[in-house]
Parts: sequence; C-alpha cells; structure tokens
Amino acid sequence: MYIFFLYIDPGSGSYLIQAIVAAVLGIAFFFRNIAMTVRHFFYRLFRKKSKMP
Amino acid sequence: MPVAFTPQPSSYRDPAGFLFHRDGTLYRQVNRSFQPDYDIFLSSGLYDHLRDRHLLISHEEISENLTGRADWYRTLRPEPIPFISYPYEWCFDMLKDAALVTLQAAADAMDKGMMLKDATAYNLQWHQGHLLFLDTLSFERYDERQPWIAYRQFCEQLLAPLALMHYLQWPLSPLFLTYPEGLPLPLVKKMLPLRSRFNLHVYLHLHLHGGLAARENKSEGAPRPFSAKKLRDLLRSLRTAVSSFELDRRSGVWSGYYEEAAQRDDYLEQKLALVDRWSSNIPAVTATDLGANEGRFSELLAAQGKLVVSADFDHYSVNRLYQKIKSDGTANIHPIVLDLAHPSPALGANLEERASFIDRAPKGLVLALALIHHLAIGNNLPFDRIVQLFRALGPSLIVEFIPKSDEKIAAMLQHKKDIYNNYTQEKFLEAFGRSYRIVAQEPVGASGRTLYLMEAHG
Repeated sequence: MYIFFLYIDPGSGSYLIQAIVAAVLGIAFFFRNIAMTVRHFFYRLFRKKSKMP
Repeated sequence: MPVAFTPQPSSYRDPAGFLFHRDGTLYRQVNRSFQPDYDIFLSSGLYDHLRDRHLLISHEEISENLTGRADWYRTLRPEPIPFISYPYEWCFDMLKDAALVTLQAAADAMDKGMMLKDATAYNLQWHQGHLLFLDTLSFERYDERQPWIAYRQFCEQLLAPLALMHYLQWPLSPLFLTYPEGLPLPLVKKMLPLRSRFNLHVYLHLHLHGGLAARENKSEGAPRPFSAKKLRDLLRSLRTAVSSFELDRRSGVWSGYYEEAAQRDDYLEQKLALVDRWSSNIPAVTATDLGANEGRFSELLAAQGKLVVSADFDHYSVNRLYQKIKSDGTANIHPIVLDLAHPSPALGANLEERASFIDRAPKGLVLALALIHHLAIGNNLPFDRIVQLFRALGPSLIVEFIPKSDEKIAAMLQHKKDIYNNYTQEKFLEAFGRSYRIVAQEPVGASGRTLYLMEAHG
C-alpha cells in the first residue's frame, strides 16, 4: 500500500491533539445538541400558544 | 527520446503528480502511483460536484503522455489563471474565505468517500469571482480510522493568522512572508490574548495544540483510531471558529477618501471621465491599478472588460473592495494588499517557487492615480526608480502628477524636512520622457494636478 501523506510530516503533535480535541468536541457538541433540542421544543410550544385565539 | 517540458518550480512536494509547462501551456501530470485515488476522485462524482460549486478549478483531460515519463497515468490541462496572488497579499476576508472553502471541500470530500490531504493556503486562488481550490490531486481515499492528515497545516496556515487578526484587530497577512509554511503554533499561543482562551474552539485548536506542538519531541506512540463522526466534529468546530472571526475597521488609511475627493469641485468626476476615455482606446486587456484605494477606477476598467489587478497598501481598503466585488459578482477584479515601496519578493526553493509581484503582474495598462507623491515624497523614491517600476509592469501608463503646491503634499511636508528639490513637473517629465512618449495630457479641473497618458518607447 502506498502512504502518500508521509511528506506532510505527521509525527509532530497533530495526531495526539486530534484525539484529545475530538473527545472534547464530542462532549461539547453532545450537550449543545441537547440544548438546541430543548430550546427548539420551547420555541415551538411558545409559538403554538401565541397562535391560539 | 526525452520530451521538452519545464516542471513548475513550486510543484515538487507531492508524489501524486506535478505541474509542468509545455509549449507555453500549464499541465498537471497524474502519476501512476496515484491512479486508485484519482479514479475514485472522478468516479465518485467529487470532481464534478466541487467544480460545479465553484470550489475547484476545472480541467480537461488529455490522453497523451506529454512528459514521456514512465510513471505517467494522466495529463490534465487546468483552466488557465491569468493572475496568481499569494496569501501574503490577501486581505482578511480572502483568507477567511480560503479557510471556509478548504473546510467545505474537506466535508464534501468525506461525503464521497474521500478526504483532503492538504490544507495549505497556497492551494487556493481568486479566479473569476471565486476562491478556488487548485490542486486536483489533493483528494485521496478516506480511511475512517485516520484523523485529518492536514489538520496541523490548516491550523498553522489558515486558522492561526485569522485568529491573530481577529483578536489583535490588526492586518497580519505579511506574516506569511516570514513563515511561508504557516505560523508556529507555540508562537501563536503566546501572541493570542487571554480572552481567546474562553473560546472553546480557539482554545482547543490553537492553545492546546500549540502547547502540545511545543513538546513535539515527545513520542506519540501508535496512532489512535479515529472515526468519521470525530472528523465531522473537528471540521464543524474549525468552521465555527473561522466563521466567528472578523476584521473590518472602518477607519483605514484611505477610508472616506472618495467622499473627501468628490467634494473638491468636480475633481473625481473629471478624472473618471478622462481615464474612461483614454483607457477605452488602449488595446491592452489587462490593467494594474496601483494605489487602487477602494477600487473606483478598477471598477471603471473592469466595466470595459479588462482584467484588473487592484493593489493598495491599506488592508482595510482592499478588504472593502473584496467585499464589494463579491457582493456585486464582479469577476475580473483581483484585489491585493501591496506596498509599492516593498513589492512582494520572489520566495521559496531557489527563489523559484513564488514569483515576485513584478514578475507576476499582468503586463498591460498601468494606472497610477494620486500615487506619485506617496512614492516620491512619502518613500523618497527618485523619479527614475518609479519609472523603472511602472515600466516593468506594462507598456501603457496613465499617471497623475501632483504639484508640490498641492494641499496633500503640504500636509505630508508638515512633519518632514523638505529635501525634495527634484520634485518638479519638469524633472518628472524628464525622467518619464526617457522611457515613455506622452500621448495625451490634461489638467484635472482646477486642482492643479495633471493627468498623462504615456506609451513606452519601442
């Protein structure tokens, strides 16, 4: 198998950091998505109520 | 029999292929070793998708082996780009768009089972109203277990300069001249203010990354398995960071220049009418507008169908011109930040990778309006040197002479000793007359300024 990307010099901090960054982002985006869902739920609820006569 | 071709001096890093010139045309060879990736790039529809969305330069495939080399697989003829500029000449919004295009191309590639292996700012170019990816061979088969090979490059070349400009509110494109491969992240970490740490994305990609990069000698061991979900999160985070960056201070050096100039009787209208009349009779299809400000005259030349390179040393003026041509959909203006007293030099291996501005400039009409006093008095350049610069940029010239009695020069000399005895209209004509013949000359209203149309001798 050819490994074409060796010329970019991968072995200097970028692999380890990506593993750490991705783990933190996974948690951050998980909670952000929950927050968005909750916000959206209340937004819809509020909009429905305000539409009532 | 060996075939005569000239390899492009900047195209030597990637074993997947290389650029070369033959009979005045630029081609790209795809090497046999890259065949599997290149075939998927086409068959997956990624090439068509990126080209149709104006994210990648289009090319024509040639079935002939033009280099005669044994490792040949395909020859491509990319759409020609008449003027190339480099990140050290870009305004903030151009660099920001370059970062966003790179992230978009990476995300789109993932959707088609491929990934972007390079994230260098030099792979993008402003062409016909779009920032395009140039390197067709930057897309390889995606392996879900691998993190993004170009992550560090993206952080060093695109994210870091944008973050610094945003947090310091200072145009810093010239840093690319000192650090052509990207900014060292440990340095970026030191330069960023404390408040940047409170942005999660900036903290992770620059502060944490910079901290770890500083200890790069430490062995990382075997690469940890990654996933597509993780990579998408990474791209999303980078996009969120880049999108949040801004640099647009209204009070640039020239801001309000046109409003102020317009108040001087009908100075601006007269000048526009003169330049329009003269330039429309010049056969040149390209123009270089030196000291372009926010591009009023560049737009005039562009409306005549000329390709215009608009250069100014004020970053904010260039940024506003870039925003304007983007919103107007103007395809033939190429704005760049350039200090004419220090034009971009030749750079890279053997000084051949990146040509100097003078070598790259389109050699057509040169427009130098309200500029000569900045060079002659602001930068102490003798007329002969200015002639040398203008002449190197093209054979036709429209130049404005500003007399010493002008209020702008009086303002310049207020805090400067007047050592400019040679700054007279006679000396100006003498110096320019050695290289040009005067085709037409007209005073601009009652301003005391004179506009000249000149053609180079021979």
